[in-house]
Amino acid sequence: MPVPSSSKKRKQTAAQETDSSDADELPQVGLDMLSDEEAEEDGLPHSDEEQVDEFPEIDAASDSEEDSDALEAEEDEDEEDEDEEDEEDGSGSGSSSEGDLHIFPRAKTIISDITGQEKKVYPDIEPDYDSDSSTEDAPNRVGNIPMHWYDDLPHVGYSIDGKKVLKPARGDELDKFLQTVEDPTAWTSAFDKNTQMDKPLTSEELDIIRRLQAHENPDAAYNPYEPTVEWFTGKGKEEIMPLSSAPEPKRRWVPSKWEKQKVMKIVRAIRQGRILPSKPKTTSAQQQFYAIWNEEPSAHAPPLPAPKPRLPTHAESYNPPEEYLPTDEERKAWEDTEKEDRERDYLPQKYGSLRLVPAYGQFIQQRFGRQLDLYLAPRIQRPKLNIDPDSLVPKLPSPNSLRPFPSYRSLRFSHTKGRVRSISVSPDGAWVVSADEQGIVSLWEVIIGREVKRWTMGEKVGAVEWCPRTDVSFFVVATEEMLHFLIPPNLPHAVLTATQLLLAPPTLPPALPVPSPVKWTNSSAISSEKPILSVELPKSSGVPKQIAWHRKGDYFATVSNAEGQGGVWIHQMSRRHSQAPFRKVKGSVQLVLFHPSKPQFFVATQRYVRLYNLAEQKLLKTLMPGIRWISSMDVHPSGDHLIVGGYDRKLCWFDLELSEKPYKIMRYHSRAIRSLQFHPTYPLFASSSDDGSIQVFHARVYNDLMTDPLIVPLKILRGHEVQEGLGVLQVKWVPKQPWLVSAGADSNVLVWCH
Amino acid sequence: MATSTPSLPVVFTTKTQYPLPSQKFMVPATWKRYQLSQLVNKALDLTKVVPFDFLVCGDLLRASLGEWAAEKGVGEEETLEIEYIESVLPPQRISELPHEEWVSAISCAVQGIFLTASYDGSVRAFDYSQELRHTALVHSAPITALCTVPNASASEDHLIATSSHDLTARLTSMTLPSDPSTSSTSHTLASLHLHTAPLSSIAANKAGTHLLTASWDALIGVWDTKVPDADEVPREPRATKRRRVGGEDDGVKRKAPAAVLKSHTARVSAVAFDNAGDAVSCGFDSTVRLWDVDSGVCSHTISASEKPFLALALASPTTALAASTDRTTTLYDIRAPATVASALSFAHPATPVALAMSRGPGAQQFVSGAYDGGVRLWDLRSPSREIARMQVKDAKKVLGVDWAAGVVGIAGEGGVELWRVGEEAK
Repeated sequence: MPVPSSSKKRKQTAAQETDSSDADELPQVGLDMLSDEEAEEDGLPHSDEEQVDEFPEIDAASDSEEDSDALEAEEDEDEEDEDEEDEEDGSGSGSSSEGDLHIFPRAKTIISDITGQEKKVYPDIEPDYDSDSSTEDAPNRVGNIPMHWYDDLPHVGYSIDGKKVLKPARGDELDKFLQTVEDPTAWTSAFDKNTQMDKPLTSEELDIIRRLQAHENPDAAYNPYEPTVEWFTGKGKEEIMPLSSAPEPKRRWVPSKWEKQKVMKIVRAIRQGRILPSKPKTTSAQQQFYAIWNEEPSAHAPPLPAPKPRLPTHAESYNPPEEYLPTDEERKAWEDTEKEDRERDYLPQKYGSLRLVPAYGQFIQQRFGRQLDLYLAPRIQRPKLNIDPDSLVPKLPSPNSLRPFPSYRSLRFSHTKGRVRSISVSPDGAWVVSADEQGIVSLWEVIIGREVKRWTMGEKVGAVEWCPRTDVSFFVVATEEMLHFLIPPNLPHAVLTATQLLLAPPTLPPALPVPSPVKWTNSSAISSEKPILSVELPKSSGVPKQIAWHRKGDYFATVSNAEGQGGVWIHQMSRRHSQAPFRKVKGSVQLVLFHPSKPQFFVATQRYVRLYNLAEQKLLKTLMPGIRWISSMDVHPSGDHLIVGGYDRKLCWFDLELSEKPYKIMRYHSRAIRSLQFHPTYPLFASSSDDGSIQVFHARVYNDLMTDPLIVPLKILRGHEVQEGLGVLQVKWVPKQPWLVSAGADSNVLVWCH
Repeated sequence: MATSTPSLPVVFTTKTQYPLPSQKFMVPATWKRYQLSQLVNKALDLTKVVPFDFLVCGDLLRASLGEWAAEKGVGEEETLEIEYIESVLPPQRISELPHEEWVSAISCAVQGIFLTASYDGSVRAFDYSQELRHTALVHSAPITALCTVPNASASEDHLIATSSHDLTARLTSMTLPSDPSTSSTSHTLASLHLHTAPLSSIAANKAGTHLLTASWDALIGVWDTKVPDADEVPREPRATKRRRVGGEDDGVKRKAPAAVLKSHTARVSAVAFDNAGDAVSCGFDSTVRLWDVDSGVCSHTISASEKPFLALALASPTTALAASTDRTTTLYDIRAPATVASALSFAHPATPVALAMSRGPGAQQFVSGAYDGGVRLWDLRSPSREIARMQVKDAKKVLGVDWAAGVVGIAGEGGVELWRVGEEAK
């Protein structure tokens, strides 16, 4: 039974009092109190004295099985007890008139002498330490008021008789000091405002101060380590009294019929053998333990901890600051975006108070989504690739930093009519020779565009090409089964004579023993209008479509459409001899090229490019560009790189050191690629296409084998018109300058300058 | 001046003969060239009205001052320094001189006569009545440049130097009597033999004593104009018919150069004498070079980056204009010690191939001919925009321009056109 400690203490002190002095005056506490324990034991009857008569009789015959009922009743009564006790405490502290509290002696009821009525007479209160301080004999009876009210007055208050209590004489500081020196108790005295003088502190007060300084309980009598009082346990303290006065219920002594039925049911079942009264103990009945440590630890990674949810921000508040609220545009943009694409799945909303916040609108959806997530997608880590699209674009230098390259059309040279199939720029970069399908070959200056001379071949010209030698100056024009050698006008005397000596030597070199079907014939009269030398290719070889010079200018190769042997011819100027390098060619040869530095020869058939060693006469390599029909090809001046263009719009860059597969395949023209060329000195190449455009690329090749070639698209040059599906048929670079000459099907030749 | 429109403080400066006292004017922002011109005329109290053009910070003023200030972001409080120049009247086409062939060069240097050099190898002389006075077949190959050698002796005899694709330059004496009825004659005096590639340019000095030829073979030849008595260079064997000029060679003396200037690494495209007698040349190797002709040394080189130069004109004793294939004409200080002088650049929409400076003392204007058939008139102080533009018929290529006495001669693919530009013909 919980007893408030304050009341208990009070009881204890009261018990002590009675023990010491007033035992006779306590009417009902007439028990022997030999020890503290017993006194405390006595406290119980004190507090419960009213309840004693309320206890019901205890039926000694009551069943033990009804203990629970009794306990319940007891508990009920306990609660009542507590209530009563509380009331008791309140009344006890509030007034002493009732007199039924043990700490105050009972009032005697006497007959008053005056009134003749009964009158209660209280015993005198012994003023001791425990008594009220108000009962002390204080000379000053002003009470607990601020004493500075009397500062200006000669007195400090009034006595109980209404006399002024004068301020005691107080010495000056020196007197005070002397007093402290003389009086050994001065340090234990304190100023009493009420009397306006120093009062020595009593030893109890000093003890209180000491205890307070030591952080102890100021009450000296308080023992924090009191021994436990065993109130209810132990011998002779058992609760034997019933706690309820309710009559014994019948069920406690009448046997239960229902139980009897139940028992009989079981008994019958046992008799019939339906229930085995004692099951035979099997081994399986023994406790089974799951040996969790016996299994091998799983090799799987432990399940991932759930990600920590992000802490909510201001925007998620029900009453966010105004600046977090979305504007109308933001709201619209949020509503317009797909749910998956939204940056956040809520819009900040403002409610004046939490009371106004509606139910979560997405509750069902969110719950469903969570369930779905758990059901369908166990927690796996999806690596989200946050790739900036710009970072995927290769870092290319700006075209402006790669100047010069041709960027604008400087001039236009027009053939009267007919497609300009072929152009060639002289090795010194000053002249262009262009030939159209009408058989007109024009020679003109690169930068002026003025035609200086014109030759009329009378039949379709397939190709023109300048001889790369600088000590002689002539070019070769290929027409139907014929190659014509033409000398430009206005040559210096030395060059002219050297050219004439080369093309029309006075003594012909000795004919080779092997007869050749190719005939070299000089024209009878030297005239600038007529070719000085003509080479007659075998019959039915068609128009040669390409002339490729060796860099030294002694050999050149021609390619014509003829099948089999007659396609490719290599001609040697110094010996005036032609030979077919291939006995049998697989497929039709499209293009040939001499390697710029090695005795190697590129042959492009319809799908493959083969590299032959001319000195050893063997095949070195077969390149597979993967183009369906090769249209154009050029080799880098370093000789290590090859570009191949096709009619299927593809351009392949081969690193000859690297692989037989293209290093890079580019498809940027919308129509077939017609022509390709590397610039001989600048790191540029250009490609022309049937879509009428020319694309200029920066192509830097590094000597370092580890560094890949840098290919940067620079400029798309548009200016040619597409006629009958044909666009720019040939592009040629001007040596020594970053200028480009392009020939188109619109019978124009354009010069592009930087 | 008490208008509600905002006013701009301006100070006028000029290099013309009409200077204003240095004084600040408050000019309404709405004023344009016309009002400003009137203001200057009134302030100067000119009897005859002189129209002026105004350059604000190197920009030719076309719109109102306020618009200019707004475009450039100039505040209203900032004092604008406006330079005024005598206005150039819009060019007017005077006439055309028909040619069947392309005309590569024109010279207006001789008073009263236009000389044209054509791709058929002929030099033609026209008088001011646009009448063909004389045709002289000088070269068998296209003539690329033409210049007149100043000759103080006779006013009717003119010495003409031409350069051609046939690797020679020629000196031709042409007699054009002032009376149109009498027949004029011409006689080729000498051919200059040095180059092994077509010649691109020829120039004579002021005194008429020396010639410069520039060629594609990166050489510059220095020649005197004296006609030698005998061939200085041996004749080539007759086997080459190419050297013949119209069958007769008689009297043409073969002349050797006085000096050869070698330093260019590519084609020399233009050459000129400056007033001090030094040679200035430019070429495809992106350099402009200044030569000391007497010692034959290149005394100064300006290297531009990737600018093959096509034409050259001397703008002042110290500066030269050079046109390059990157569609700019650039003003270089040829006497500056720095290798690359900070240069004004005049941007063209097409390749400029011909330049001619206005011939007056302290002239600040030049014309440039380009492949788009436009001849543009520029002021050196206003590089951002041309002053005027002359458009050749059919947008044919312009190959040569010359500007003298208020007439700009434009030679090109379609013949010759004459335009009246600027000052009145005196």
